[in-house]
Amino acid sequence: MSWHWLALVDERPEDATGAAPVHELDGTAAGFLAIWARRAKPLADARRIDARLLDTDGAEAQISLVRPPPGVRLLFDDLAVQHARRAVLAAPPLDAVTTLLSDASHFEGSLTVARGDGVARLADDPFARIFPARLLHVGAGVVGRLPAPAGPVIERYGSAQPWPQDRFGAAR
Amino acid sequence: MAPSSGKVFPDLVLTDHAGNERALSNLVAGDPTIVQTYRGWWCPKEQAFFRKLVALQDEMEVAYTRIVSISIDPPPVTAAFRAGLGARWTFFCDPGRVAQQQLGLLETTDTVYRPYVPAVFTLFPDLTVHRAYDGYWFWGRPTLEELRQDMRTITQAVRPDWAAPTP
Repeated sequence: MSWHWLALVDERPEDATGAAPVHELDGTAAGFLAIWARRAKPLADARRIDARLLDTDGAEAQISLVRPPPGVRLLFDDLAVQHARRAVLAAPPLDAVTTLLSDASHFEGSLTVARGDGVARLADDPFARIFPARLLHVGAGVVGRLPAPAGPVIERYGSAQPWPQDRFGAAR
Repeated sequence: MAPSSGKVFPDLVLTDHAGNERALSNLVAGDPTIVQTYRGWWCPKEQAFFRKLVALQDEMEVAYTRIVSISIDPPPVTAAFRAGLGARWTFFCDPGRVAQQQLGLLETTDTVYRPYVPAVFTLFPDLTVHRAYDGYWFWGRPTLEELRQDMRTITQAVRPDWAAPTP
């Protein structure tokens, strides 16, 4: 399975594969970032992510969490989403990035992870040009570091797969 | 000797333009791929050829096909060149000339920079070379149409659903 489920929730979910407390940059508690490695959707608000993002040994990090406003939907193939993917590939890579999906057609936001010098660049998250972003601090034990997308491919490897997951299954 | 058609291209492990160690097989990751070696940012012939590759990028990015470029330049130089080109694929850096020696692609006529011989290889996902182009003379390099034909041939060979599934 090349995707997992992610949600930002108020309480630490007992059934999550990985979870860590989240704070606003001013230190205000903002819940828990949780990832589930399973087929069944754990919560109505959970979204698919590139499965490689989960790392229960991952260090604390800052994240840019982009989500559409309530009631707003945008096709994944929309030009704005295409251009954001191109901008991600063109820039120096951060620790990890994944788009969020709930179905095969729509862009449901993104999660970008940065540590060290990369943190300052979160403020220029290309996906934040599409929907509002929250810059948050996430504790250790949930998100890791991915190899940078090889590029130049901006397409999903199957419409159910969150970009940048970068290969077809063995059957292809 | 540089890999030729039918041979397996070495699974190089090099530093990318961002300073991360990467294996070629992980960059290829199951897709048809163009691997290109180039002299350096300073060469007008490379600048002309890169303009073609950047134009092709608009097709490569939606076609599940990849490009990897390799030179002797270190990551900071490579990253700046890549950014200036507007390239969105991965560049490999071989300042130690280790892969250059492995590939047999030292340009012996340039004793100052000792760069790569310009060359282009079109690869199957298992790194088997489909076609190899010697770009020492500019006209030895593939045209974009030749690259398109190579990507079509490889894609047709490796995608079981090349013929669209029918009811």
